[in-house]
Amino acid sequence: MSNSTNPVIEIKDLRRSYGKHDAVNGLSLSVRPGRCYGFFGRNGAGKTTTIKCLLNLLRPNSGTVNVFGLNPQREEVAVKARLAYVPDMVAFYPWMSVRDTLEYLASFRRHWNRELEADLLNRFQLDPLKKTSSLSKGQRTQLALIGAIAPEPELLVLDEPTSGLDPIVRREFIETVIGAYQSGDPEHRTVFVSTHLISEFEGLIDEFTIIEGGRELLTMESDQARDRFRKIRARFAQMPTALNLPGALSVKQNGREVEVLANGNSEALLEFLKARSPEELRCESLTLEEIFVASNILKKGNA
Amino acid sequence: MVFQIDFKSGKPVYLQLVDQIRYAAASGALRLGDPLPGIRPLAEELRVNRNTIAKAYTELENQGVIETVPGKGCFLKENTSPFTKQVKHKLLLTEIDEAVVTAHHLQVDREAFLALVRERVDYFERKSQENT
Repeated sequence: MSNSTNPVIEIKDLRRSYGKHDAVNGLSLSVRPGRCYGFFGRNGAGKTTTIKCLLNLLRPNSGTVNVFGLNPQREEVAVKARLAYVPDMVAFYPWMSVRDTLEYLASFRRHWNRELEADLLNRFQLDPLKKTSSLSKGQRTQLALIGAIAPEPELLVLDEPTSGLDPIVRREFIETVIGAYQSGDPEHRTVFVSTHLISEFEGLIDEFTIIEGGRELLTMESDQARDRFRKIRARFAQMPTALNLPGALSVKQNGREVEVLANGNSEALLEFLKARSPEELRCESLTLEEIFVASNILKKGNA
Repeated sequence: MVFQIDFKSGKPVYLQLVDQIRYAAASGALRLGDPLPGIRPLAEELRVNRNTIAKAYTELENQGVIETVPGKGCFLKENTSPFTKQVKHKLLLTEIDEAVVTAHHLQVDREAFLALVRERVDYFERKSQENT
């Protein structure tokens, strides 16, 4: 048994290629129990490949992947008994009803919370007698979520769970993850979510990794990231010549206005701008989504 | 009470909650013995991690603003700050200094600044009386 301080997921120097193409190329990350961990990246960055290695749907070429301290290749059943996975495209047997599908899923599980299942069916207004073939995309995702939460697993792996859903279903999805899943036993309910609809999950994410070209680009606590990455806007009566901003991540100038992205040096940049007597000066944090976009600048800077 | 979370404010979300609850207590919107919203419903409503709410409540408990009654939830406590006078003043000074610096940059002069401070103190006292 892993104790509560051991990471739930530990990936070290993971490599996986498809032919000549390296999908994941030396990725490392570690997820502590009870956290909600965001895994952000553009299409093709290597998110799904990484998740498939966690679930032993793919074998790594090299590096190690541990889930609950176990190797998913050697102890697949022990690992899968303790986690649940919601992929972006969920498929069910079309001839089964909602009820049949849940019974079928429950038959693979040691534990299944009937009360929670009933609550969620009611909350999502899913008709248990309806055939899965006649469910909408939103309803399919809701059914997959019930199937993932009812066994009350220690780890919930979500791969682009809300893409293609309407805003109301997306909200309900996230509320359910927070309420029905996370609140059940907060110390031992870990969420690993890959998404590019980052703003939806903003409040939920404790820590995140941005992956780009199969490598880690940035790993940070959300609060720390919002403190470090800031956007400063200044307007001057007359644009100072030689506005050479020390260490700004990016500078955009539009007439008498300038927008500066700060990477941990917002205090210094603010002082610098203040000293040039702006008519207006504002500073705000970047949201996680804006940080994700800005991380592309970081990448170019490093290259 | 209604909470407002702003991810762009640069202040950690849990501290935003702490500030808003302290504000509600100071203005009388929350009164002695009033229950705070449960962690789960509040987390769902704000769509933030339940750890964030729990962290805010722990912080408020450490500051002596609320108390947790096992099995019943959190309640607003009598205003007995555990800090000594010196520490209280020191805590306030940082905040006052910030306001003074901002006033300087906005070219708000000394009299106008002090008048504003008086006005705000009056405002909270008035509100708190209205609410009792």
